[in-house]
Amino acid sequence: MLEMNKDNTQPLEYSTEQGRMNILGFWIFIGAEIMLFGTLFASYFTLEGRTGAGPTGAEIFEISPVLAETLLLLTSSFTIGLGVHAMRLGRQKAMMTFFIITLVLGAAFLSFEVYEFIHYVHEGAGIQTSAFTSILLTTLGTHGAHVTFGLFWGIMIMIQVIKRGLTPETANKSFIFSLYWHFLDVVWIFIFSFVYLKGMM
Amino acid sequence: MKELFPIKHVMGFVFSLILTSVALLVYILDMSFALGLTILLITAFAQAALQLVVFMHAGESEDKGAIYTSVYYGIIIAVLTVFGTLLAMIWGYV
Amino acid sequence: MDFFERFMIPHPSPAIYAAMVAIVLTSIAIVVGLTYFKKWGYLWREWITTVDHKKIGIMYLISALLMLFRGGVDALMMRAQTAVPENALLDAQHYNEIFTTHGIVMIIFMAMAFIIALMNFVIPLQIGARDVAFPRLNAVSFWLYFMGAMLFNLSFVIGGSPSSGWTSYFPLAGDELSPSVGTNYYMLALQISGLGTLITGINFIVTILKMRAPGMTLMKMPMFTWSGLITNVIIVFAFPVLTVALAMGTMDRLFATNFFTTTDGGMDMLWANLFWVWGHPEVYILILPAFGIYSEVISTFSRRNLYGYNSMVASMVIISLLSFVVWVHHFFTMGQGAMVNSIFSITTMAIAIPTGIKIFNWLLTMWKGKIQFTVPMLYSLGFIPIFTIGGVTGVMLGMSAADYQYHNTMFLVAHFHLVIIPGVVFAMIAGLTYWWPKMFGFMLNERIGRWAFGFIAGGTCLAFFPMFISGLDGQARRMYTYSESTGFGFWNMLSFIGALGLAVGFILIVYNIYYSTRYASRDIGDDPWNARSLEWATHNPVPEYNFAITPQVNSSQAFWDSKKNGHTLFKGGYKEIHMPNNSGVPFVMSVFFFIFGFAFVFSMWITAVVSLIGIFACMLHRSFEKDHGHHISVAEIERTESELRGARNE
Repeated sequence: MLEMNKDNTQPLEYSTEQGRMNILGFWIFIGAEIMLFGTLFASYFTLEGRTGAGPTGAEIFEISPVLAETLLLLTSSFTIGLGVHAMRLGRQKAMMTFFIITLVLGAAFLSFEVYEFIHYVHEGAGIQTSAFTSILLTTLGTHGAHVTFGLFWGIMIMIQVIKRGLTPETANKSFIFSLYWHFLDVVWIFIFSFVYLKGMM
Repeated sequence: MKELFPIKHVMGFVFSLILTSVALLVYILDMSFALGLTILLITAFAQAALQLVVFMHAGESEDKGAIYTSVYYGIIIAVLTVFGTLLAMIWGYV
Repeated sequence: MDFFERFMIPHPSPAIYAAMVAIVLTSIAIVVGLTYFKKWGYLWREWITTVDHKKIGIMYLISALLMLFRGGVDALMMRAQTAVPENALLDAQHYNEIFTTHGIVMIIFMAMAFIIALMNFVIPLQIGARDVAFPRLNAVSFWLYFMGAMLFNLSFVIGGSPSSGWTSYFPLAGDELSPSVGTNYYMLALQISGLGTLITGINFIVTILKMRAPGMTLMKMPMFTWSGLITNVIIVFAFPVLTVALAMGTMDRLFATNFFTTTDGGMDMLWANLFWVWGHPEVYILILPAFGIYSEVISTFSRRNLYGYNSMVASMVIISLLSFVVWVHHFFTMGQGAMVNSIFSITTMAIAIPTGIKIFNWLLTMWKGKIQFTVPMLYSLGFIPIFTIGGVTGVMLGMSAADYQYHNTMFLVAHFHLVIIPGVVFAMIAGLTYWWPKMFGFMLNERIGRWAFGFIAGGTCLAFFPMFISGLDGQARRMYTYSESTGFGFWNMLSFIGALGLAVGFILIVYNIYYSTRYASRDIGDDPWNARSLEWATHNPVPEYNFAITPQVNSSQAFWDSKKNGHTLFKGGYKEIHMPNNSGVPFVMSVFFFIFGFAFVFSMWITAVVSLIGIFACMLHRSFEKDHGHHISVAEIERTESELRGARNE
């Protein structure tokens, strides 16, 4: 089925029935992820003001690392979009370059986040301090864990593209990875707006 | 080289930077909580829609009906869960 | 010595020691038996590594039946303990453990597995597909569920069962008030099997949306497939909530976070809130497939098309949305003001409307039909009145002002059992009996089946109707005993007798399986019920590839049309068929998940990290594997088909 029913009128990643099902399946998974982060946000808003003896958000948030993280992730979302565009043009080398830039930006994002976490702990806002710090670090941590997973996933997919070239299968995997990466950017936008900016307002 | 930077993507990126700057206004300027939150809601959802349509190509395939249904369903239920939880746990809690 | 003490049962009793011995002996017997009959290879090749939706369905079915008996024994012990006042059969702690495990086992490991079993077996056949969209993931789903179930049941003999109720409300479920590892088991086992369920949800949505036979538009799908689609939509959007809640609960217990504590800003009510944000949609995850089964059974045995197809679909879509906005009715008495309670009262009562529409549709399907009183039909007929009583008492509970009277009493227990048992359990047995010939190639004995129905329906009424009365008289649920002066004794004795009736009914079902396996005729043709949908258009037993030729569909009753109106289902000749390969990776990965869960329960972090690496290694293996499946040649199809007496409509 994979190689046989190839439809050449569509981009490579859509060219097989299995490929189209993989993409739809991943979109439905994104629907579930929306709900996952929605639940975290619901809990965050509920526990936001319950700081116990610990600090409030306004006391510990710093705008500069947050802004840096936002710009890094926004740019990486742009570059992976360009990567998929290059893939559709059949320009494998350009695609790889864009993917590498994306992952480097993702790694930079993570290092800022690690810095941020260390800063919070120094400020006396560990995960056990209060309901607010528990949910704050869990929400950020869940997003960060997704980015970390994405880094490894992206590297594995790049290895496959280099080894096997652009086939319906590798194109499909690369496209699905790009969906994941864009989605993480969307989640970050909501964290940026409703955790940080709202907290610092 | 130019073909690698399609105008749609570049404009999308520029627009997302603009939206981020607008959102930042709530931090820089002194404004009421309600106004600030309204701005954040608009910029965040606009940003999400931008990613979805421009970068994620949500509407390009034969399954766009199912894809949009899944995303909208997720958003609707998530928003209901957030507001329902706030209603039951904070606003209506006596 | 400290290390081993953690694995001991905190409140041992002779029954638990006996269970330990029984588990060890059974395990030895299974291992010896498999070795003696040289069945290890068969088990590995045909079952453990299978990706065939039919075999996965049957494995779900066997697991669900096993769990039914585990949960059933818990229920019998509960009813026996409360049958007379001041009974000392069980102490308070054991009673707590038993009502906790009864709830979890029945909902998560029995009912969920049962509906997924039937969906697995039936849906690909009903839509004329060769398998599900992601066969490998389907195996992952099953093995994750299975390992979750095993992990949960292990708590009985290693470390102690959870005892804070199936809802595990905090702060009771926190590590201060529930210091044993029981609640850790609860959190981890549900997390692992919940992951499997989420994967099932995605898999079946894609299967139903993308793999239907040509001509089968959405509005021509059989009703069971429709109910499966809606159910899986609810699964996909409800289970992530449980994932988050369980993760937060686990962190509270193991890493001293403050989500649900009563200090440092923690909010115990948030657990109840999140639990029911998942928990109420979960109720509809269980009931909608049951509605689908009843629609199939009632239409088949009334010899009529389903009445009000469009309104059936519309009401399910409405239920799927409404199911997400009623959850607060589970804790009306826990602190929200009148305004919030009123809002959720209204949404709750609104959900009775689409449900009512479905009831009337079934009644109108039967109206002027030629009803055949087969066993599946008996369950469907029993379902309607009993479920309606359970349902309308639910509307009573849904009125928030009145709920203060009923909340946490036996009235509530009566209500939800009278919804779940006729709604889900009857449907499962009806579906099992209905599709049994397709699964195993022979029919279950009708006479024994009717007796079993009698005991189960009568037992259900006798066990749960008295609880309405004792509940209104003030008997709280989850009380392990009561004094004689309360006057609850009589009603509880009736309940106990009813529970015994149910037990007899289930034993009769097992006997029926044994009896029919030995004596039932194997010569039943492909369509013993004279049914209407596509699963009956292929052979008995179903070949690996389901349909030699992909069927062409023209209506929601395609097979019926092919029998009565001369519609041609199978056009053209055989073509090579592409099928997925078997794989052991899903099983191995799930074993790592099991070890991960066990290590987490006992805070053995090195083991947890190692098993996590094992899980990622399995995913990596899958990613780099080049697996393009295999092809079944035309010659082989011809051979199989001629053995199975040739395709029907050639």
